[in-house]
Amino acid sequence: MSMATIHAVQRRSPFARLRRNGSATASLVLLAGLLLACFSAPLTGAAVGIDATSIDLFNIAAAPSADHPLGTDEIGRDLLMRLLEGGRVSLTVGLAAALSATVIGTLIGLLAGYRGGIADAVLMRLADGVISLPLLPLLIVLAAIDPVKIGLPSELVHSESFSLYRIVIIIALVGWTTTARLVRGTVLSLRERDFIEAARAQGLPPSRILLRHLLPNAASPILVAMTLTIGNVILFESVLSFLGLGIQPPIPSWGNMLTGAQDLISVAPMLAVWPGLLIFAAVIAFNFLGDGLQDALDPRALSQHGR
Amino acid sequence: MRRSARVLTFWLLLFLSALSLARPADAREQLVIGITQFPTTLNPMIDSMLVKTYVLGMAQRQMTIFGHDWEPICLWCTELPTFENTRAKRFPVLNPAGKETGREGVRTTYTIKPGAIWGDGTPITTDDVRFSWEVGRHPETGVADANSYQEILDIEVEDDRTFTIVRDKIDYRYNTLGDFQLLPVHLERDAFANPREYKNRTLYKTAPGTPGLYNGPYRVTEVNEGAYIVLTRNEHWQGREPVFERIVVKTIEKTAALEANLLSGSIDYIAGEAGLTLDQALGFEKRHGDTFDVIYKPGLIYEHIEFNLDNPVLADIKMRRALLHAIDRKAISDKLFAGNQPVAHGAVNPLDWAYHDKLPLYPYDPSRAKALLEEAGWTEIKNGVRHKPDGTKLSLEIMTTAGNRIRELVEQVLQNYWKKVGVEVTIRNEPARVFFGETVQKRKFPAMAMFAWLSAPESLPKTTLYSTAIPTEANNWSGQNVTGYSSPEMDGLIDAIEIELDREKRRALWAEQQTLYSTDLPVLPLYFRSDAYILPKWLKGLRPTGHKYSSTYWVEQWRDGSSASQ
Amino acid sequence: MTGFLVRRIFQALIVLWVMSFVTYGLLALMPGDPIDLMLAGDPNVTSADVARLRALHGLDRPFLERYGDWLAGALNGDLGYSRLFGAPVLDVLAPRLLNSLLLMGLAFLVAVSIALPASVAAARRPGSLTDRLINLLCFAGISVPAFWLALLIILLFAVTLGLFPASGMATIGDGGFDDRAAHLVLPVITLAVASLAQYTRHGRAAMIEVLREDYIRTARAKGVTERAILWRHGFRNALIPVITIMALDFGALFSGALIVETMFAYLGMGKTIYDAVMGNDYNLALVGLLLATAITLAANIAADIAYTLIDPRIRLTGRRPA
Repeated sequence: MSMATIHAVQRRSPFARLRRNGSATASLVLLAGLLLACFSAPLTGAAVGIDATSIDLFNIAAAPSADHPLGTDEIGRDLLMRLLEGGRVSLTVGLAAALSATVIGTLIGLLAGYRGGIADAVLMRLADGVISLPLLPLLIVLAAIDPVKIGLPSELVHSESFSLYRIVIIIALVGWTTTARLVRGTVLSLRERDFIEAARAQGLPPSRILLRHLLPNAASPILVAMTLTIGNVILFESVLSFLGLGIQPPIPSWGNMLTGAQDLISVAPMLAVWPGLLIFAAVIAFNFLGDGLQDALDPRALSQHGR
Repeated sequence: MRRSARVLTFWLLLFLSALSLARPADAREQLVIGITQFPTTLNPMIDSMLVKTYVLGMAQRQMTIFGHDWEPICLWCTELPTFENTRAKRFPVLNPAGKETGREGVRTTYTIKPGAIWGDGTPITTDDVRFSWEVGRHPETGVADANSYQEILDIEVEDDRTFTIVRDKIDYRYNTLGDFQLLPVHLERDAFANPREYKNRTLYKTAPGTPGLYNGPYRVTEVNEGAYIVLTRNEHWQGREPVFERIVVKTIEKTAALEANLLSGSIDYIAGEAGLTLDQALGFEKRHGDTFDVIYKPGLIYEHIEFNLDNPVLADIKMRRALLHAIDRKAISDKLFAGNQPVAHGAVNPLDWAYHDKLPLYPYDPSRAKALLEEAGWTEIKNGVRHKPDGTKLSLEIMTTAGNRIRELVEQVLQNYWKKVGVEVTIRNEPARVFFGETVQKRKFPAMAMFAWLSAPESLPKTTLYSTAIPTEANNWSGQNVTGYSSPEMDGLIDAIEIELDREKRRALWAEQQTLYSTDLPVLPLYFRSDAYILPKWLKGLRPTGHKYSSTYWVEQWRDGSSASQ
Repeated sequence: MTGFLVRRIFQALIVLWVMSFVTYGLLALMPGDPIDLMLAGDPNVTSADVARLRALHGLDRPFLERYGDWLAGALNGDLGYSRLFGAPVLDVLAPRLLNSLLLMGLAFLVAVSIALPASVAAARRPGSLTDRLINLLCFAGISVPAFWLALLIILLFAVTLGLFPASGMATIGDGGFDDRAAHLVLPVITLAVASLAQYTRHGRAAMIEVLREDYIRTARAKGVTERAILWRHGFRNALIPVITIMALDFGALFSGALIVETMFAYLGMGKTIYDAVMGNDYNLALVGLLLATAITLAANIAADIAYTLIDPRIRLTGRRPA
């Protein structure tokens, strides 16, 4: 990637290109809608007087009605509110985990690419290793260890939302590799360029060169990788939930709602259909968006689509 | 996206619409049973596990068990010893110096039934009994519950079939053999040469298809670890001949998959002992009640919440009573379990003869709960949560096994009830491994822990309520009185029940004990869990027991009803 | 080539050794122990029983000591006993490993044999209806939770249509070839879906990239048939990045297998490792994880060898072509 093309990309607004990509635009709209609905759920719920935790034993697994647009769940809670609440959790976890994985990956990639030599070799072997390992079985071990034994304060471990942090940490620990490779690649390709040489000659400190000159150029692949990661995290959370290692009730997430409803598939199929659909929709939307972003941010993408 | 949604809907509609399945009406030689767990070993002594008892009920029977009426019965003995039939005799216990200690022991004589034969034709003899005792009491064998063997002082052999058990104390269970399991000495002697290695070298593990290991109507012929166990009719079985030539016990862990297997015909019957959860079964019955029979049997699984009585808030009896008055257990049972899980008022099941029916009750009564909370000093309500005048917030934590969907749901329902009377309850669950291994056993739960005890009929709560059974660092976390309940009165009653042999006198003592339990409320009783047995219409004669000796101990009574009726 | 192989295998052994230590350490960090779990809920068990059983299973000793013992034993070929299964670890794992390899191998074949033609079809005319449809299906494939897909597949093919058995490995008492094959169909389909979608996406991207190269344009200009361009020139060159992805994806196949094995009651490695971890069966979990790692590492080495077979210009230098 030469400087000329990079600037060209920045000039030809990527947003304009993204808008021309139908599925990516649709995904963006869908995701924006989901985010808005989920994060405003407590407010709208309070406004109409429904919340996700009030239980009505006399109204179990009820069909959709005016009070409950999607019906109620197996202990009489409003399904729509639960889905929105669960969405808030799933999306938050997805964003937080993807963000932390990206930050770690970016730092490692910058370090490996800029330093080169042994640091590069070690870090990249590590990335190779992490990528090639059978992750899920390993994650099961990670998810099963007792955090108190590694010295975390027990008040933290014993809080209701600890399962949430745990997932974010686990994903950050293994999800950094793609970003690290991308960033390293960009840094390597730019390291010897004139403008970096010039910056170095001016005596700018490495941290400044890294952050001001190298990082912005790696921004597009990072953004793409992160978008794709969010989708994967949401999917991954559902799989962990299926194995009983995901986000723990009473905190709802799409993953644990789907897992719980699975047992009742023949009794109340809609309880499983809705979270399943939402996971599917959100993940596919993130994938389309990531793909669209890639096309929009990568100048060569145009010819790929032959448009 | 829209296409995928349509496809998904299409599949679901297909599934929903086409659920009545015709079954082939051929002569059934084989019965396939679905369960959710696989036994870790088939050796009757090592590891106590419900599914192992389930399988061995068909193949490997012991001397005494409990019957359908929850009374002890003989399987391999001719009759139970009593003082009346002179098979049981008291004797004074002597100290090592030969002086009387003032305590009494008991000698009970059993005779092995004629026709008791191992699956290879070798008769069951007193040699087997003595060998089993040797294995069971050996500290390195790996027997989970060694008590049944260790409390036996000696086994005196009279002849091949008659032996006498000597114990140095008498209690009301004197005439049963507890969990005493029989092992075939002619096959297992070699494996026991090195007791430490026995659990790995036992033929039940290395060659589970050996016919001589079994003595029931069936014997195990094939074990596919983790997947299934095949049982075939035991040709040496002298009792009533079972109907099915073969029984296959298949393990499918996920209940949703288990149900799908039943519907697709790859299994015939889902065992209640380890099968669907109650709400699944209820849903199943609604949809498939015309092709399957569903039997609900409440049993000795006592779901309850243990309080940590070291918690100053819960140490107050008013608080505990308020918590119980605040929840509508009847509604939970009715609405979530269609009334099939009876509300528990104490630890003794109403089906047990020892049950006392005039216990103090704690019906759903929020205003009474609120009054009790006021009395206990939780008078000020801020943001819906009660506080003491000094500002202490009334917040408790409840824990249970993560992944147990029913418990997690009940927990959330309870949380909601308690919220209504101003008690804030937070939920934190842990995987069974952690929950039982650490949290409960070491009493690390700050306030409440929800789980179940599985017990035998007329089971004495010695390890769960006796004051010396509180697990502490000093006693190496032994005992299961994890609430920390300590009452001299309760200790006295437990001791008195244990040595009282007269049933009517014991009934009175049990009544007193249960009343004390319900008055002091060291734990919060919820309900007795029910098992749901899902049978094809043609499977008849299956009678659930409700205790740990499962329906399979009467497998020879199971019949194929379709061949009789057609 | 030999030197390269020796070096890669040596590296792999080091990775395995590090893994064994890390995993053993992680397992020791898990709370509770198997004895507590075994006795949970049985009020008749006394503390003496617990202490006795714990000593019997060697759980009362510190972690490093146990690891040392285990390593010494392992180097002598004794990988220990599985506590859950009461049998030597290898006896438990060997048949499951074969089952898993069969499942994964078939899923891999199915995925590859569909993904390669599909990616060529999609890349032929990017943006066409075919391309968009394939693209959509790929996205759907990678976006659906595996266990959910498994359940839907069971409900559709086994319960509603009754075409294939819902679970298990073979009908008990049958176990003939046809029967085993019938039992494999649904698990293989389920497992193949995600990989299939992944491979197709990467294959398509690689193909598009290659088809834009100058030599393809030259070939077109020279009048080489479209078919030959696509397959002989395009496909062959696109294979390299695709193989990289496949090798890297082998670990993911293992993860997917865990879910599939659970849903279909298929006795494989993934499920066994999961059970071992959840049941604190240290030996079994450890050896299982190491085997799984060894297999993915082997897949990576195999991919490196495959490059040379496809493109003799690549010489093995220990670096994977980027």
